[in-house]
Amino acid sequence: MATDAIGEERPALFLRKATGLVRGWSVRDSIIYACLATNFVTLGIYEFTLAGPAFPKGQLISAVIISGIWVSFLVIAYAGLIVTIPRAGGDYVWQTRILGSGLGFVMAVTGWWFILWLWAPIYGNILSVQLFQPLWATLKWTWPAGGAAWFGTKNGIFVVTLITIALAGILVSIGMAGYARIQRWCFIGGMIGFLVIVGLLLFNSRSTFISSFNLEAHRLFGTANAYANTNHLAAKAGYTTSSLGFGPLGATMLLVPAMMFFILWPNWGATLYGEIRGASDFRRVFAGMFVGLWITVALTVIFLLLMAKTVGWGFYQNLNALSYNTTPQFGIWPYPFLFAGWLVHNTAFQVVLILVLSLWFFGWVGTLFLSSTRVIFAAAFDRVLPDRAAEVSEKRKVPLYSLVLMLLPAVGLGAVYAYSATFRTYTYDAVLVIAVTYLFSAIAVVILPWRKPDLWRASPASKVRVFGVQIVPLAGLVTIGLLVFNLYEWFSNDNYFVNNRDSLYYMGAMYVLAIALYVTAYFVRRRQGIDLGLINKEIPVE
Amino acid sequence: MRVFFATDIHGSEICWRKFLNAASFYKADVVVLGGDVTGKVMVPITAHNGYWQVVFGGEDRRIETREELEQVERQIRNRGSYPAIVTPDELSWLSKEESAVDQRFSVEMLSSLDRWLDMADGKLKGGAIPCVLNGGNDDFFEIDPVIESSPCVTFAEGKLLDLDGFSLVSMGWTNPTPWDTFREAPEEELAQKIDAVAQLVPDMERAIFNFHAPPYGTGLDEAPALDASLRPIRGGVVMKSVGSTAVRDAINKYQPMLSIHGHIHESRGVKKMGRTLAINPGSVYGDGVLQGALLELNAKKGKVGKYLLVNG
Repeated sequence: MATDAIGEERPALFLRKATGLVRGWSVRDSIIYACLATNFVTLGIYEFTLAGPAFPKGQLISAVIISGIWVSFLVIAYAGLIVTIPRAGGDYVWQTRILGSGLGFVMAVTGWWFILWLWAPIYGNILSVQLFQPLWATLKWTWPAGGAAWFGTKNGIFVVTLITIALAGILVSIGMAGYARIQRWCFIGGMIGFLVIVGLLLFNSRSTFISSFNLEAHRLFGTANAYANTNHLAAKAGYTTSSLGFGPLGATMLLVPAMMFFILWPNWGATLYGEIRGASDFRRVFAGMFVGLWITVALTVIFLLLMAKTVGWGFYQNLNALSYNTTPQFGIWPYPFLFAGWLVHNTAFQVVLILVLSLWFFGWVGTLFLSSTRVIFAAAFDRVLPDRAAEVSEKRKVPLYSLVLMLLPAVGLGAVYAYSATFRTYTYDAVLVIAVTYLFSAIAVVILPWRKPDLWRASPASKVRVFGVQIVPLAGLVTIGLLVFNLYEWFSNDNYFVNNRDSLYYMGAMYVLAIALYVTAYFVRRRQGIDLGLINKEIPVE
Repeated sequence: MRVFFATDIHGSEICWRKFLNAASFYKADVVVLGGDVTGKVMVPITAHNGYWQVVFGGEDRRIETREELEQVERQIRNRGSYPAIVTPDELSWLSKEESAVDQRFSVEMLSSLDRWLDMADGKLKGGAIPCVLNGGNDDFFEIDPVIESSPCVTFAEGKLLDLDGFSLVSMGWTNPTPWDTFREAPEEELAQKIDAVAQLVPDMERAIFNFHAPPYGTGLDEAPALDASLRPIRGGVVMKSVGSTAVRDAINKYQPMLSIHGHIHESRGVKKMGRTLAINPGSVYGDGVLQGALLELNAKKGKVGKYLLVNG
């Protein structure tokens, strides 16, 4: 029986030869995962087009930093949950275990399944504006009718949404083994692309950018004197932007709920942690998410500063404002990396740059439905969903029924998204519903020491103290503060487009559906002689 | 008939206590523990003059009283580890000599198992509630005679047991793992072992396979893929099937009514393989939660009427 002694001078424990004793996973991998989840390029830049013009008095850089600091507490809270109950399934497992089966089910299926139907067309739209539109514009392709602008039409958005859903579905079928390899290369390629952008913006002056912008805009779109024209159109539309700085705090705080669109996801891999991955090492788990989050914050700040230096802050905001309020300049979404690429007057270079930067998208889209599959499987094993929902075809290893449960509603919602301009404004609904799920996990971490005292006492998370105070439940409280603040703003401020009848109906319908599913399952199973209430009922020890 | 099946409790005393209470809690007629009963970790508690010292849960603790010592020992046992009280000299000897650790592990495992079986005697009313145990790949062979000698627990390894008209056959062996554990064998050898016990079954329609290894490629056997140095690759998000092809083939060939498995803690799930319902309830013994499967067997129809995976 081979054994290992663990401990430096005085061994703290001895391990014998047994299954599952593995070396810790590489923190670098989880940093990449967290970094791709808080995707600065795919989600961040997309978000700035909406948030900047919606809250023109707010300061983006300050908002990103404040959000980063606040979300760091969420990272601590989630690291605490992961090391205390290191189970694949994340929020579903923690909430069903700590808060109860019904509540856990409702929160998990709304936040990790139903709302991802909406993320599918949002991702489709991002693919449209960050790959197809700039590519078509650069190559001056005119098919389909309208060329690049076609991708912004209803049909264009729907077709690209279908492509995105198909892509995500195929990648779920392929499995993470192949995709994880692709993901790493996408991250490296995407980072190289970003460094090229940094170089272009760093080593070129404002005047060079203006002349390049005017030249390329004329060449590709026939617009004369496009830089000045953009500023003129924005002024004519009545848009005024504040200069780049750090205040005022009040207006900047209104940007924080908008920043959640990309900053709130460093814990996205939480559904994937499990016992074998050495998840009980608090520092490792925390570091993976925390470093990933702050790389994103750093990239964002660098990008915004360089935009201010070379492109011009007012001009960048005017581009966004035109897209947000009236008609986008050149008829396409104002992709800043497309314009930065214009500093090099070479079509091949510009095309390659667009393709390389699209790796940020392709490195992440495959995980769109990954967590949903896990939640569907877990709910099926808990007999809340029919057994078939967890079936995997033996030949092809495809989770056919769960894919149908994800893909079909996503296609339907994709159509609504594409053909209803109003529905397209419900972007923050996609964040809000997940934030509600997070809120209940944050509540779970706060009450964990009282609800499960033995589990908590034995957890490495209970040993993490600052000035003698257990930091994890405290971080849970700060996280509740963050989420309640965001929820309050989303529900009370019209600029997020959440606070309107149809949006509320849409979100409410998801909760009603989840509750209806659980209640139906409860009674159907009871008729079958299966008591769902038994699932998480603890057996007495004595 | 209602069966409660759990597995892979790996020395967790809290899970063992829950297992013993499961029959009355779930109103089960029989309880089955599917292997990997023993723990993997031994925590030394160093006895000094008038106090004890232990590093547990990342904390270096000084223990002043016997009551406190008992409490710490209980906490260690509940997490699936063995508390071992040692002198400073013994500790230094253990840290140098691998064979000494092995010996001490054996002593602690066997004495713990003895205590567990004593508890079982009380809880299971001296055998009135049938309780079935078998080994798993992580259990060394010395535990077999200890369980075998218990009056209230039936050791099932390699045997055919009759459970009120249903035939239970058990095997704790698994296909090879990267850790080279005790009860591992190549797939061909596993197939022979399975065939040997399967031959004993009079009626496959009423048969239960209690094989520690889950069937390969069924979703009941997915574990994080590891590199050569046993490090999970890609941050642990890449899963791969590590179950047994021999077990899979046997289920497909014999089509028992039910097939119950363990071994892969994270692969909790259910899979229909032809007429066979295959189940791995998984294990989270480290949390002190006893995962299990509650199975309602229909004696008339010879099938699993209902099932529920529970976190007790």
